[in-house]
Amino acid sequence: MSFKAYPAAWPHHTALRAAAARWQRRGLLLPAQRAAIDAAYPVDYYQPAILLRVGLFVATLLSVGSLLLALGIGAGVHSEFGLGLFALVGCVVGVEAVIINSRHYHSGVDMALLYSALLAWEFLILCGFSTWLPYSYSHQYYDHDFWLITPGMWLHLLLLLGPLLLALWRYADPVVAVVTFGTVLALLANVLLHAAFGQLLLPFAIMAASAALVYWLEKQPARPNYLYYRPSLLVLRTLALAAFYLAGNYLIVREGNAKLIGGYGPSPQVPLAPVFYLFTAVVPLLYLYLGLRRHDRLVLLVGVLAVAFSIFTVRYYHALMPPEVAATLAGLVFTGLSLAALRYLRIPRHGLTAAPDDEATPHFNLESLIVAQTAHVPAAPEVGFQFSGGQSGGGGADSTY
Amino acid sequence: MASPTSRLLADLEAQGFILPDQTAAIEDDERTRPFSLNYELRTLLYLGITLLAGGVGVLVYQHIDSIGHGVIIAAITLAMSASFAYATRHLPSFTWQEAPRTSIAADYLLLLGCLLFLVLEGYLQVQYALFGTRYGLATVLPAVLFFALAYRFDHRGVLAMAITALAAWVGVSVAPLDVFRQGMIWQGVISLPALLLGFVLVAAGLLSEFLDRKRHFAFTYLSLGGNVALLATMSVLFHTEGRYTLPWLLLVLGLSAGLVWYARRAQSYLFLLMSVTYSYVAITYAIISALSSDHSGNWIVPMIVLYLPLTLVGIVLLFLNSKKILRLA
Repeated sequence: MSFKAYPAAWPHHTALRAAAARWQRRGLLLPAQRAAIDAAYPVDYYQPAILLRVGLFVATLLSVGSLLLALGIGAGVHSEFGLGLFALVGCVVGVEAVIINSRHYHSGVDMALLYSALLAWEFLILCGFSTWLPYSYSHQYYDHDFWLITPGMWLHLLLLLGPLLLALWRYADPVVAVVTFGTVLALLANVLLHAAFGQLLLPFAIMAASAALVYWLEKQPARPNYLYYRPSLLVLRTLALAAFYLAGNYLIVREGNAKLIGGYGPSPQVPLAPVFYLFTAVVPLLYLYLGLRRHDRLVLLVGVLAVAFSIFTVRYYHALMPPEVAATLAGLVFTGLSLAALRYLRIPRHGLTAAPDDEATPHFNLESLIVAQTAHVPAAPEVGFQFSGGQSGGGGADSTY
Repeated sequence: MASPTSRLLADLEAQGFILPDQTAAIEDDERTRPFSLNYELRTLLYLGITLLAGGVGVLVYQHIDSIGHGVIIAAITLAMSASFAYATRHLPSFTWQEAPRTSIAADYLLLLGCLLFLVLEGYLQVQYALFGTRYGLATVLPAVLFFALAYRFDHRGVLAMAITALAAWVGVSVAPLDVFRQGMIWQGVISLPALLLGFVLVAAGLLSEFLDRKRHFAFTYLSLGGNVALLATMSVLFHTEGRYTLPWLLLVLGLSAGLVWYARRAQSYLFLLMSVTYSYVAITYAIISALSSDHSGNWIVPMIVLYLPLTLVGIVLLFLNSKKILRLA
């Protein structure tokens, strides 16, 4: 028996229809064929446009919250445990009901109910800890300055991880995937930091775990379950790539190390610093190369962000030039580079092209909002002359596409 | 390895929807299709021109008394002329409809030219007091120029810059995220210019849609203008009480109705969401302020227990039927 909450046909039909639409746009499929495919594989679930999903999500979350508030205040239910348990059971029943009765598929409503159920579980863990933990233990538990190195945190994280994995398995929700990933990393860190050499090994352990996850994810597209889990797997892949880079990044390692040691003042140099210099420099370039070589947009984009963060890392410790000179030079380089690439790739070369992909719908409307937000020129430094809002333009990585 | 695509293809072929040689052609196309870097390059280009204009904008003022100054100014003038010249070379013929995009580079160089124009104009004002104390003229000039360029070159980005410049002229910021930064809604400044600007922009958007003159500009006008108008109205609303809220409430509802009209026409979820959110907050505030005038506090519990859950359920139902409202289904 399948443990999946949604029928496997839903993602399957969606993928087929999207593929058929793409092939017809490329002239590989006759319109009649596409119509036949669309008719044979209908979309018989409810999933509105993204903005409405956000609206539904917020409205459902507020409804759950106000209902619980009404129960707590209005009906005078005072047992925290009872309220938490009621929320957990109610939300799980609610998710199942909206999926079965109203055929919701990641519509915002089912997501909000699912997250509420998981939050209720976390609330129950906290209630249980404050009730049952022996005093000496709970004293330690709550008074530690940094939650990640709290001794009993592993139990908390483990109790959280179980339901998260179950939820991920059953509902294939991307946000649950993010939280699960974070929980596993926190668990790894918590256990390692109480072992000998743990702090030294932590970056390498996270890199190894991320690399293992990426390797496992590479094999997933071949499995029949793939379409059902695709959104969560993509999110996990992004996180694993980012974690692999960040765990080896010099800035993260050094400042993280300083935070774990505690104390004030500038962060001390870390052991094995040259290794982390190397990772900071090489991993982004490796991502860029692999992204372009294997036509993998996700790796390419993570690589671009990693390059930006590596530049930031260098500037954080050695400011080579004042920011306005750096901005001007970077602007010149970016403009020149992209203009040259646009010209060079006007005809496809090396399997790359500058022409728009026919899968993508242009977002010109979005672009005008971005221009309104970002296209400003710094005003003259004089009182009384308000030129254009006085907002400094181009603060770095603010290309929000 | 069986990729998801080849599994889908095998599925379709087994069901008899496509022919075997078609399957082969599609698999071949999926394998050999070039990888598009269009969005990545556009983003890089946009980032480049904003960084460039921002950087030289600061450089000019820092070196205002040094020898390098003249060189910077000459370079900016040259770069601006070159940008405008390149854009002019790819000038599309004028149409009231959407002109076909001819060149990505020209699109972004036009934006760069406009940004550099702002740098130059600001510099000329500081150094030579070109406009004297007529600051209004200094800010309205770019607005006029950018509007003209936006319509002639059919460019939504330049239109957004024109609207920003126009807003600077009346002393308002239209940048969408400035709402959160400045907290203008809580300060309760009765901002008549903001209100007027918002209405003018909304009117411009509705007219361009209604008269079919650059219909694709409507989104920019309405999203920037509608936000300013609604925010200005709400900030007044939040500082009125009792029956004085009524005219402002009606104004919010009227504006929202206009946006819903556009949302139905353009089948846009964004405007539906915007008008529902603003209307809901405005109505809720008006009810609370009407109830709180008796100072007894008896209304608080029923409000929380009844009003919030019921209205939120109502909103969920409204969203669930949005396809019908937007005439998509």
